[in-house]
Amino acid sequence: METPNIFWGVIGWMIFWGVLGSVVTRRRYLHRDLDTTNANFTGAMLGAATGPIGLVPLWLRTPELTNRLIVLPAIGSVTLIAAAFAFADPGNNCVSNGAFVASQITNGLIIGIIYGFMALGLTLIFSILGVVSFAHGEFYMIGGMVVYFVTAVWLPGINPLLAVLTACLVAFAIGAAFERLFLTPMYEGKVDRPVEYGILVTFGLAFTLQYFVQAMAGANPVKARRFFDFPRLRWPSAEDPWLLRSSRGNVELFDTVSISNPRFVAAVICILVLIALLGFLHRTWTGKALRAVSQDREAAAIAGIDPDRMNMLAFALGGMIAALAGALLVQAFSWLPQVGNIPAMRSFVIVVLGGLGSLPGAFLGGIIVGLVEAAGTGCIPDAQKAASYIPAYGMVVLTLTLLLRPTGLFGRRFASGAHGKF
Amino acid sequence: MKRIQRTTGIRRTEGMLAVSLLALSASATAAAEVECPIRIGGLAPLSAPGTVVGGEAMRDAMLIAEQDLNDAGGVLGCEVKVVIADTEGLPEKAAAVMEKLIAQDGVVAVGGGYHSSVGVASKDVADARGVPVVFAETWNDTITGDKQKYIFRIAPLSSWASSTIWKHSLLVPGIRKAVILTENTDYGIPAAQETTEGLKTGNVETVTFSVDIGTQDYAGIVERIKAENPDMIIVLATGEAGYNFTQQAADAGIGPMDIPFHTGQVSLESKAYWENVPDGNYAFVQRIGVPENLFNEKAKNFSATYKAKTGKAGVESYAMEAYDSIAILAQAIDEAKSTDGDEIVEALENIDHDGTLGRIYFPYGTGRDPAADGKGDEWWHQWPDPALTVIQYQEEGQNSVDSPIVWPDAYKTGEAIYVGR
Repeated sequence: METPNIFWGVIGWMIFWGVLGSVVTRRRYLHRDLDTTNANFTGAMLGAATGPIGLVPLWLRTPELTNRLIVLPAIGSVTLIAAAFAFADPGNNCVSNGAFVASQITNGLIIGIIYGFMALGLTLIFSILGVVSFAHGEFYMIGGMVVYFVTAVWLPGINPLLAVLTACLVAFAIGAAFERLFLTPMYEGKVDRPVEYGILVTFGLAFTLQYFVQAMAGANPVKARRFFDFPRLRWPSAEDPWLLRSSRGNVELFDTVSISNPRFVAAVICILVLIALLGFLHRTWTGKALRAVSQDREAAAIAGIDPDRMNMLAFALGGMIAALAGALLVQAFSWLPQVGNIPAMRSFVIVVLGGLGSLPGAFLGGIIVGLVEAAGTGCIPDAQKAASYIPAYGMVVLTLTLLLRPTGLFGRRFASGAHGKF
Repeated sequence: MKRIQRTTGIRRTEGMLAVSLLALSASATAAAEVECPIRIGGLAPLSAPGTVVGGEAMRDAMLIAEQDLNDAGGVLGCEVKVVIADTEGLPEKAAAVMEKLIAQDGVVAVGGGYHSSVGVASKDVADARGVPVVFAETWNDTITGDKQKYIFRIAPLSSWASSTIWKHSLLVPGIRKAVILTENTDYGIPAAQETTEGLKTGNVETVTFSVDIGTQDYAGIVERIKAENPDMIIVLATGEAGYNFTQQAADAGIGPMDIPFHTGQVSLESKAYWENVPDGNYAFVQRIGVPENLFNEKAKNFSATYKAKTGKAGVESYAMEAYDSIAILAQAIDEAKSTDGDEIVEALENIDHDGTLGRIYFPYGTGRDPAADGKGDEWWHQWPDPALTVIQYQEEGQNSVDSPIVWPDAYKTGEAIYVGR
């Protein structure tokens, strides 16, 4: 960085006005007996983006905190940080290299979609059962392992999508059986501390699955072959394929953005399954029943819905979603019995960031984490540190969000017994 | 002072008479003082984030060493038992594992060890407990550089291993800029610094990216490396991290088939390499030990047993090191005629072991300080002669033992192919 003083000076200024804005705005809204749900966040963002110019009118007028008033200052803050960075380090690739920026954003979006998809399963389970599943990473691992063994060991040559389907069925069956055998005591009042029981029993499942797979398959890294090879394309012409150029394992757009085959395939399938999942939840009776249980179990039961059956379905579906993410990524990453540890941790971060129990929040949280990781990896000037801090980037975003908006981006304050709404 | 040795295998019913007789004869034969079986610890990473591929190879090799020793009649009349311990490649686990091996399993010496961070963390425990360790594959210079009485090493120093890489890299035609991807561990960080310094002597600029040992997704880093426009990429990451990065770089068009690419040593395990890095042809890999055509009798015998046991087509260098680390400890115990730590150390300092890697000895220790010959502290209890070579995969699916050695000239079996960008 050429002039770090400028950058850190701006950051210091933003932190000062952000903290002041957060604290004082909440006090002003409390003083006037107004809703303070978004006061901290809005005050912090407006303070960081505009300093006293925006804060003083806000404190004097205390308008209703609409979405526009929340989102615009947040965008302004991010823009100000970017501008300070560009001014302080004009030679940085993130400033001077448009192709690099486009590639990083694309990579962040693609991996963010997959992160968000995996986190959807976790939030689905939490919103229905009120259980934080600590076995989510192991379902992810199982999905990849099943695809590897089906395509590379048991039935080489099989259509990989059939292997993905098998992985989903296996995970669904494990999830359903586990829920019936081990989680039902929670709802029947057979355990004194159901929340702690839920955590411990899913921890148990995680260890069991991880070490069972290690005992059966070993701990050597394995990897499935690419599901499909891209056709060799050159658009608009073979001589000057500035629009699209593809090889077996890669596609390049506009001569700038490069996307590897496994990620592209995984992201596209995730989006298709997400659309199908939303259709299921909003268009089918079972999906509506799931949503009803997430909103009010008692009312749903009165309306003829069996909440216990919905519990089983939600846990199995949540595990299946994680397994699907793993099944799609086993062609991109080397796979081990412990491979789910980091994605599971990331899912927890995303779910809390998006708001516990919120499906849009989980998906948006995943994309935010993906983009922040890409920005951190790509833009931090010190190459040695840029990649070392990858796991920390999401945590920084999470910490800031929890400080300013403890319910997460799309979360809500829960009444006792309700866990979420999607 | 000798430790008190317990006697076993004596039935209580034989009572005090037998104990008295044994006590009388104790001074007559040292071997009778030894507890049977003689337990030797074997460190290996058998779970992630450690390099499981390497750990399993080392485990198999150490168990073959145990079998060979017992087939030859054991040591001091006792059966040898190698107690394998999983370090997971984690320093915090390594210290605990070393403590357990000594305190609970009753090992009298320890061999094996793959990750440098494991060696750095566990050596202090062993040294404080007076238990000799012969590290097999831990490269960090400080492991011997701390000049601890009970710590020995038959692996090369990190600085030697790094010099293999940078000396070979300087031969890449037209090289002006290299990117190093390293794990931020006790192995990776000093290795990256040494490689950078070495490349600087040839006016080669370097950019180093360091990552956590368990990193999976390298998309952002790969883009950044592409933006650096390097002439060569060097990977100093152990375990599946090396596989993940190499294949993701290949997907992005900067893999071994696109530019000269020095990948991690774990790639010597050919089956896993080709499964995880299908686009990894033309990768260079560092290898320790002489080529198979120069194997001595012991190496040939071990290689045959190892291949039969594991079904592999070749033997990895870290497997040979692990085998030798156990064998050399057994010889030291035999020559010391005791399992006492001090006496084993004395025997090790004077040992002349005919191992699979060649003649193994330790020229520097309590008898002669490295400084006496102008050497650095890292030469303390360090085997000076490990052969370091660079091989190159030149056909898809090729086995590492069949791949040509392209550096140094003394062991060369084929010419390097430098792919164009």
